[in-house]
Amino acid sequence: MNSNSTPSAAPPVARLIEAFNRLPGVGPKSAQRLTYYMIRMPREEAEALAEAVISVKDRIVLCSKCLNITEEPVCPVCTNERRDRTRICVVEEPLDVLAIERTRAYDGLYHVLHGSISPVNGIGAEQLKIRELLDRLRDETVTELILATNPNLEGEATSMYLQRLISPLGIKVTRLARGLSSGADLEYADEMTLANALEGRSEIARNDEPAAG
Amino acid sequence: MVSSRPRLFTTEAVVLRHSDLGEADRLLWLLTPQRGVIRATARGARKPGSKLGGHIDLLCHVKLSMREGRELHGVSQADTVDAFRAMRTDIGRLSRGLYMAELAQRVSVEDAPAPAVFRLLVNSLGWLATTENADTLVRWFALRLLTITGFKPEFGACAECGDELEPADHVFSAERGGLVCPRCRSQGSDVLQPASLGTIKVLRHLARSDFPAVSSLNIGSEERRQIERILRSHTNSVIDRGVRSSAFLDEVRDWPEVGPVPGGMRAD
Repeated sequence: MNSNSTPSAAPPVARLIEAFNRLPGVGPKSAQRLTYYMIRMPREEAEALAEAVISVKDRIVLCSKCLNITEEPVCPVCTNERRDRTRICVVEEPLDVLAIERTRAYDGLYHVLHGSISPVNGIGAEQLKIRELLDRLRDETVTELILATNPNLEGEATSMYLQRLISPLGIKVTRLARGLSSGADLEYADEMTLANALEGRSEIARNDEPAAG
Repeated sequence: MVSSRPRLFTTEAVVLRHSDLGEADRLLWLLTPQRGVIRATARGARKPGSKLGGHIDLLCHVKLSMREGRELHGVSQADTVDAFRAMRTDIGRLSRGLYMAELAQRVSVEDAPAPAVFRLLVNSLGWLATTENADTLVRWFALRLLTITGFKPEFGACAECGDELEPADHVFSAERGGLVCPRCRSQGSDVLQPASLGTIKVLRHLARSDFPAVSSLNIGSEERRQIERILRSHTNSVIDRGVRSSAFLDEVRDWPEVGPVPGGMRAD
C-alpha cells in the first residue's frame, strides 16, 4: 500500500485500507472505497463479516481425500455414497470443483491439485498435490481419471505430466474436450481452439431412417 | 490541445509470462521487436468466451493492437501468427520452449528495442516444434542469445590474458567469461569447468553457425555434459538467481513423447 494515497487517514482506517489492498485484484482506490463503506456499516454487519473471516481461518481444512476446502475432515462429496467412486476429476483449484458441480453433469469424485505446473514462476510438480493423487489411485478402485486442468499451456503441461505418471497404472486417462465456447463467434476463434474443435468434432445425432419419399 | 485519447499501436509479440489479474483479466509479459519486453493487461482474457484468451497463451507468437499506457499497456485485439502447436503436445519440447522464453525475458531490458532477440526466439520456437535435436537447439539458442545481448563467452582466446589458446583441453570460468589458458588457470578462486578439445570445437561451431547448420550435429555424451555445465554456469552468472524453469526442463528432458491425452468426456 502506498501510504501517500491516504496521507490524512486515521491509523485504524489506514490499517484497514492496507489490509484490503493486499487482497488479489483490489487496488488502492477499491481498498479505500471498501474501507469507507465499512465505516458506515452497522456494527452487527461488521462483526458478522469479521466473524466470517475468522471462522474461515479456524474451521476450514483440506479434505483428507480430495484436498478440496471443507469444514469436515472428509468433504461432503467424498462421503456421499451415491457418487461414482470409479472416476476422479482432477482440477487445479477448489473453485473449479464448484464450476463443475454447477453443471450437474458429473457425479464422480474430485482431486484438487492446488495449482498448475508453472516453470517460469518456479512452481514444479512437487508443489502440487500430485503425490496424494497417486496414493488415492493405488488405494481406490478408480478406472477413469478426468484431467480438467485449465486449457492453457500450464494446464496442458500439468495434464501431460500427470498422464505420464499415471499411464503405467493402467487407469484410463481422459481430459475435458477443447473447442469453441457457446455463444462465441467463429471468426474470433484462435487457431488452437479451432484446430482442437475440428479434431474433437462429433457426428450429429440423426434419425435412423430418412423420411420416406 | 493535447488529446486525452490513448495512443494506439500494433506490434508483434511472443507471450513470455502471464499472471492472473483482478476478476478475469490477465497480466502479460511480452517480447516485442520494437519495445523489447513490455507488460500489458488483457481484459476478460480468462473468461471462456473471450476473444483474446486463446490468442495470448504462453509462447504464442501474436499480432496485437494495443492501447499505450504509462506502465501497463492494454491489449485491444489479438491475432495468432503461430501457436507452435506441435511443441505444446510434447512435454519435453514444451519444457525447452519455456526455458528459452525465460532466458529471453531475463536478459532483455524493458522498453528497449530487441528485434534480434525477438526474431531469434520466434525462429527457435518454430524449429523446436519440428527438430529431432531439441537439446542442441537450446544450447545454440543460449549461445546466440548471449552473443546478441553482449554476454558472449570467449572460446577463441584466454578470457584472462587474451592470448590465443593452443588446440588442447582447457577450463572454462563463468566468472571470467570464457576459456582460460593453463598459465591463468591458477589465478583466482573461481569455479572452473573442464572443456576438452572436442567440447571447445563444438562450442565454437555452435557459436558461429546458424541452427540449420548444426541441427544434425552428433555430439558425444561427455562433450554434451561439459557443454551443458559450461553454458549453465555462464548463463547463471549473467542472470541473477538462475533460470527458474531449468528444474522442470531437467526433470522431463528424457521423458519419451506420450502423445496427447484423449479428449472429450464421451460415454463409453
